[in-house]
Amino acid sequence: MITVERKPWREMVNHAQATYPNECCGAMIGTIVSGPDGDVKTVIHALALDNASAGPQAARYELRPEDLLRADRQARELKMDLIGIYHSHPDCDAYFSETDLKNSCPWYSFIVLSIQKGQYHHANSWLPNAEQTHAEKEELQWPES
Amino acid sequence: MARILIPTPLRQFVEKLDTVEADGATVGEVLAALTTRFPNLKKQLYNDEGKLRSFVNVYLNDDDIRYLQKDATSVAATDTLSIVPSIAGGLI
Repeated sequence: MITVERKPWREMVNHAQATYPNECCGAMIGTIVSGPDGDVKTVIHALALDNASAGPQAARYELRPEDLLRADRQARELKMDLIGIYHSHPDCDAYFSETDLKNSCPWYSFIVLSIQKGQYHHANSWLPNAEQTHAEKEELQWPES
Repeated sequence: MARILIPTPLRQFVEKLDTVEADGATVGEVLAALTTRFPNLKKQLYNDEGKLRSFVNVYLNDDDIRYLQKDATSVAATDTLSIVPSIAGGLI
């Protein structure tokens, strides 16, 4: 399960709406606590990152590895963990697309924010496998959920 | 010994350490020493053909080894290696 605290949630939604009609992307930093039903991840900081995709960004995003390296270093300085990645789907549902899957990494949670006509609509979190063939839906909680 | 920073999700394969030290004169030797010591980490980083998985990048300090000499890049005892994923996507 992944829970996003109020402040990072608002930052992620604001980032996704501000970037509309293009896709946004960023990193999520927080804590992971192991429980009887699996890990409980809590997002405490959202870090907006550049969409480095060279082409039109309405349907593509790309993170620079050096930006992720910086996010990991920031998490270490905060004594926290890099938990996941978020990105938006403008005028589209928050599914995990084939493109998302083929360019994913199984180490993190992937939150997808659906932005419809410029406004937040809904979100899902996904856990892709190492073979990049399947993503499992992860329980997602946020302040308004 | 070079330091290797371990991303949070991979720490379960390295006795929950966030940093590991390993011997080696090159990046390839350091990674080999790392995955020999922690064999369960190997399949997280390498595919069945023994190549680094497509989403795995290795940085020597601030530089991607793909733009240095890849596995043959020299490593000093004061260097830090980082394991960083490639991530992209899109709605279509």
